[in-house]
Order: sequence, then C-alpha cells, then structure tokens
Amino acid sequence: MNSTRPSTFTQYRTLLAKDIRREFRTREMLTAMGIYAVLMLVVFGAALATTVAAFDILQMSGGLIWALIVFTSLLGLTRSFSYEKEEGALEALLLAPLDRSVIFLSKASSNLLFLAVVELIALPLFYFFFLTGSGLAPTFWMTLGPLIVGTVGIAGIGTLLATITMGTRGKDVLLAVLFIPLIFPLLYACVCATTVALLGSEMIMDTYVPSMALAIGYDVVMILVSWLLYDFVVSV
Amino acid sequence: MTEKKHPLRGLDSAAVVLLAIGAVLTTVAFVLSFVSAPLVYGAAVDAPALIGGQMVTNKLLLSQKIFYFHMPVAVTSFVALLFTAIFGALFLVRRERRYDLRAKVATEIALVFILMTMVSGEFWERFEWGVWWTWEPRLTTYFILMLLVIGYFILRGAVDDPERRAVFASVFGIIAFIDVPICFLVTRLVPTSVHPVILRTDSGLGPMMLLPLMLSLVGMFCIAFGLYRFRLREQRLRERLEALKEGLED
Amino acid sequence: MMTPETDAENRSFATDLPVVEVHKLSKSFGARTALDNVSFSLPEGAFLSIFGPNGAGKTTLLRVISTLERPSSGAVRVFDLDLKEQPEAIREHIGFVSHRSLLYPDLTAEENLEFTARLYGMSDPARCATHMLATVELTARRHDLVRSFSRGMTQRLAIARALICDPHLVFLDEPYSGLDPHAVEILDELLATIRQRRSFIMVSHDLQKGFELSTHVLMLAKGRKELFAERSELAFESFANQYHAAVGMEVA
Repeated sequence: MNSTRPSTFTQYRTLLAKDIRREFRTREMLTAMGIYAVLMLVVFGAALATTVAAFDILQMSGGLIWALIVFTSLLGLTRSFSYEKEEGALEALLLAPLDRSVIFLSKASSNLLFLAVVELIALPLFYFFFLTGSGLAPTFWMTLGPLIVGTVGIAGIGTLLATITMGTRGKDVLLAVLFIPLIFPLLYACVCATTVALLGSEMIMDTYVPSMALAIGYDVVMILVSWLLYDFVVSV
Repeated sequence: MTEKKHPLRGLDSAAVVLLAIGAVLTTVAFVLSFVSAPLVYGAAVDAPALIGGQMVTNKLLLSQKIFYFHMPVAVTSFVALLFTAIFGALFLVRRERRYDLRAKVATEIALVFILMTMVSGEFWERFEWGVWWTWEPRLTTYFILMLLVIGYFILRGAVDDPERRAVFASVFGIIAFIDVPICFLVTRLVPTSVHPVILRTDSGLGPMMLLPLMLSLVGMFCIAFGLYRFRLREQRLRERLEALKEGLED
Repeated sequence: MMTPETDAENRSFATDLPVVEVHKLSKSFGARTALDNVSFSLPEGAFLSIFGPNGAGKTTLLRVISTLERPSSGAVRVFDLDLKEQPEAIREHIGFVSHRSLLYPDLTAEENLEFTARLYGMSDPARCATHMLATVELTARRHDLVRSFSRGMTQRLAIARALICDPHLVFLDEPYSGLDPHAVEILDELLATIRQRRSFIMVSHDLQKGFELSTHVLMLAKGRKELFAERSELAFESFANQYHAAVGMEVA
C-alpha cells in the first residue's frame, strides 16, 4: 500500500463527502433547521395577524426572510462541529497531512449546502403563507442575488465563529453574541436589496446595486480573513 | 517568573503626566468651545428638516458643544480598537502572553470610550435630532461596535485555557476591527426608504472651532494612553502576585 | 532528583538516526509552564513510555511531538524533519491513538477507514480499509455504525485508523483507559503484531504495563525531565521506587 501526497481538491472532496454522507444519514442539522424555520413562520403568522394590507407585508418580508435565515443558520452552525468534537475526530484531521484552510473551506461548503437546502424549503413556504395575496413584482427574481451572497457570507464567517465557540462554555449563546453583530453589515445590505427586489419600485437599482456591491465586498473581505486566520483558531 | 524588570517603567511614570496633560487639554478645550467657538446655527443641517416634530434650520444649537467631547471620544475609542487588532496580530505571530494582555487592556479602554461615545451621542440626538434613537449610520456603527466589544469580553470569559483564550480573542479582535468600517460604509451608502439619512456637513469648522476640537482630541488620546498604562501595570502586578502565590503553594 | 543521562549516553544513540530528537523543549504560556527544558533522543524502533503524575506535561509533550501543539522554545526533529518547518511532512508518517477514538460515530467502520485512507492519499482506499479491518478482526462488523461498537471494538478500530497510513511513529495517549480486561488482552496482542519497523511513544498511568512494553522510559514531573533511560539499564523495582519518590505519595 503506497501513498502519494493527495491533491488539496481530493482532500476537500473527501471532507465534504463525509459531511454530506453523515448528514443524510442522521439528518441532524437539516431536521433541526427545517423545523425551526417552520416554527419561525408560525411566529411570523402570529406577529403579522393584524396586518391587513398585503403591501405592508410585502414591505416587511425582506426583513422577515433574513430574520428567518439568520436564526435558522445559527441553529445549524452550532451543530456543524458537534460531531467533530464528539470523539475527537477534528484532532484526527489536524494530525493528517492536510492544509487547515481545506478544513475551513469544506466545512463552510457543507454549511452553505445545508443552509441552501433549508432555504429551498423555507422560502417557498414563506411565499405560500404570506405573499400569495400580493402580486409579485417582475423584479422578483432579483432576490436571488442577496440570497446567494448573504448565505455564502453567513456560511463563511459562521464557520470560523462556530470553530471558535465549539470549545467554549455556553457555546450556543456565545455564537449568537459574536455572529449577529459581525454579520450586521451583510444583513443590512441583504435586507435592503431583498426588499427593493420584492417591491420592484422604479428606483430599484439605486438601492440594489450599492447593496449588492457592499454585500459582495463584505463576503470577499470576511471570507478571506477567516480563511487566513483559520489555522490559528482550529489548531489550539 | 514572568517579568523581572520592566523596560517600560518610564512609560508608567509618564502615564501620570499624560493623564494630567490630558485633563488640562480637555478642560481647556471645553472652556474654549464655550468661550471662543461660535455657536453653530442650524445651517449644519443641510436643508430645513422636520426632525422629531421641530424644524431645525435656523436654531442656535447650544447642544452642539457636545460635539467637542463626543467626536474626540469616538475617535479615541476606534484608535483603541485599532490597537486591539494590532496586538492581536502580534500575539498570533509571536505567541507571547504580553501581547494578549495588551490587547485585552486596549479593548477595555475602547469599551470605556465607546460607552462615553454612546452616552454623549444620546444627548446629541435628543437635542439636535429630537429623537432618542435612530438607525443613523454612525450611531448604528457605534452600537454594533459596542456589541462586538462586549462580545469580545464574553468570549474571553467563556474560555478557560489561557492560550486558547488569547488566540480566540486575538482573532475576534482582528475581525471585529475589520467589520466596523464595513458596517459604517453599508449603513452610510445604502439608501433606504425607511430611514432618512441626516446629512451633516462637518467641513464647515472654522479655526475657532477646530482649535478646541484638536485640543480635546489630543487630550483624549493622552487620557486613553494614561489609563491604558495604569491598567496594564495593575494587570501585570496582579499576574506576578498570582505567580508568587502559586510558587508558595508548591 | 536524578538526571542519569550524560553526554556519553547521548552519543551512544548517535550511531543510528534518531526517530525523534527533542532539544531543550519548553512549552509555557505566561506564568504557567507545561514543559521545561526537556531533551532526549529516541532511536528508530524504540518504544518510549512517558510516566509522571497528573499535570506533569506528559500529554503536552505527546501533543507537541505529534505536531498538535507548537513549542514555545527549543527544537524538535521527527524523522530528521524540523517540527516547525515541515509539520505536514511529519504528519504523513505518524499515527495517533488516543483514549478517545477520533472516529465519526455516525459513519460505519468501513466508511471511517476509507475516509482516512482518502485523506492520506492512499492509492486504493477501499482495499486499504478492507485490509485494516481484517488486521483488527472487525471485518464482520464493517457495515455497522461505530456508535454501536463496544469500547474495545472502538479502540481496535481507532488503532486501525491510526495505522492506515502505515506510520513510522505511533503515539499512544493512554490507550488502555476505559478498557475491560478482555479488551486489554486483545490490544496487547494487536500492539505486539504491529511493533515491527515502527517506533512508539506512549503515555500511560499503568506503571507495570508501560514499563514492560517499553525500550526507553521518560519520567516527567512538573514539566521537567526526571529520568530518561533505556529500560534494559533499569530494574522495575528501582524504577518504581524512583517514580514514587519523584511523584510523592500520589500513586499507591
């Protein structure tokens, strides 16, 4: 049995495949996040019970969608490292001839994937519950932009923070305490972009373009920094 | 034992002097701001605007004096946070305990100045804009900044192992510092229909206003640095005491 | 306090290439010192047992040599590679068995081994896994989740995981803890079969067992080296007495 130094991409694929295989066997993160998302929709239903005009809901829905995504992702992120810790499997990864940034990239990818799956279920439900009454603007499809950019950013910075908090006391609360202020700029930009895309007003590009530019800028800067600093965080 | 001699002892005695200088400078600045700086007319608001139910175009704004305190404090807190990030990076590279201690103390100073910024900002808003809170870019940014710094200390409190704590705090300090300007840019540049952005032109500062502002700024820097040195010395002495105690137990 | 290691003894190792060379290694943070100026050199094929009371720095030493923690000062060379310069090259040829399994409980035995084989870039991961399963006699349970395994079976699989990359140096961090007598027996047999061509570093609380397995012993107390010697130079009785003298009354 001989070994050659595996390519970084092979290692990335191996790690990602492990996460996916494990998740589709236990469905731990997906069920938790899915149920939580549905429950949040129920809460929104109660919160919006007295909102009569459909336009009001349309105006708010950008914010509501992002509230849903942020809190649901928090739930998933805290779980994403629990099984790496359970029997010390993360230590085995650190002992392997493996660049630590590959661990970051694969974990961020799997988090992104699971988050996307939950969004694919939760967002149509959101539409079904709240937006069927109000006609969608023709610019509706443009919400895809902030959704993709926002989810990528959440998965990236969230993976770094989840790595930090996994070994701490009271990790669930701590992750929220660190995560929400840090992603505030991204959240703000994504909410603005999503809202204008849903409303489809004439001046849409005035808000949409700077929002998206800043959200993309945030993603690039933050993921780069997380990627650079990940070695320090994961190996102590 | 940790540190037998302090190569920076000179700085520690300078801290007292700096604190005194800072106190004098800021006091002079405040006096000047009332005596010599002209009152600002509502012209500082771009156009006649209805804020909190009152028009603020042509009103003498005495509350503008807060500005001579508020702005230097805000700048100082951000500079303190810059040092958190720098010491954090130094720690990650060199792995020496002292950098972590410095980063922590710098963040403590940052927190003190952020709280002062928030309080003075609150008065400012109430009297100038007529509201207690608005999601205005600078306010939002400082609010987020405050949450990040509080998060920094909660993170430190949640990790037992000192080396892990130092690494995590350093990394978070660096990210938080990068996050703040982005936060300001986003809240500033993304126009929203919900909250009108109140534009103030700060460029209209005459020399009689600039002087007290600068004095106040330099004074605040002196105070911050003095406090930083004091706190650092206190922490180091405490550490040596702990080490001595442990030595006795053995 | 005894430091029987002399220059003469150091030179006797110098003839064959040392697998691990630790030179003035210290690991400290602030006022806390985990390792204090530890030096030793281990020839190829050796089995080093590290002894010492809790908090003596045994596990820290193991973690530093296995690239998990970085030293504060001093130099460590493994396979004649510098630990700080080429940690990844070292990682290719080391295996680590801990008292935790380092496995994924929700993957099957085979999936766990295949995953590790892929990570190390083995040419045929599936065959590799099959071979290792046979070595640790778990072929019958290959498709079962690790979560359903007994402690002893998990530990065997953990050893298979550690050996899948065919390491030259194997670290054992209290591998016997939590095992029942039967599992200990199986582990003993397993260790005997894998000893050829490999070097071992083990941390153990079990004085007798650690001493019997070893070719070299290292005793640590408060992060300092109390004793480093070849086992053949020591009698167990005198070694045990020395150990108790160094540790105090902590160990009965």
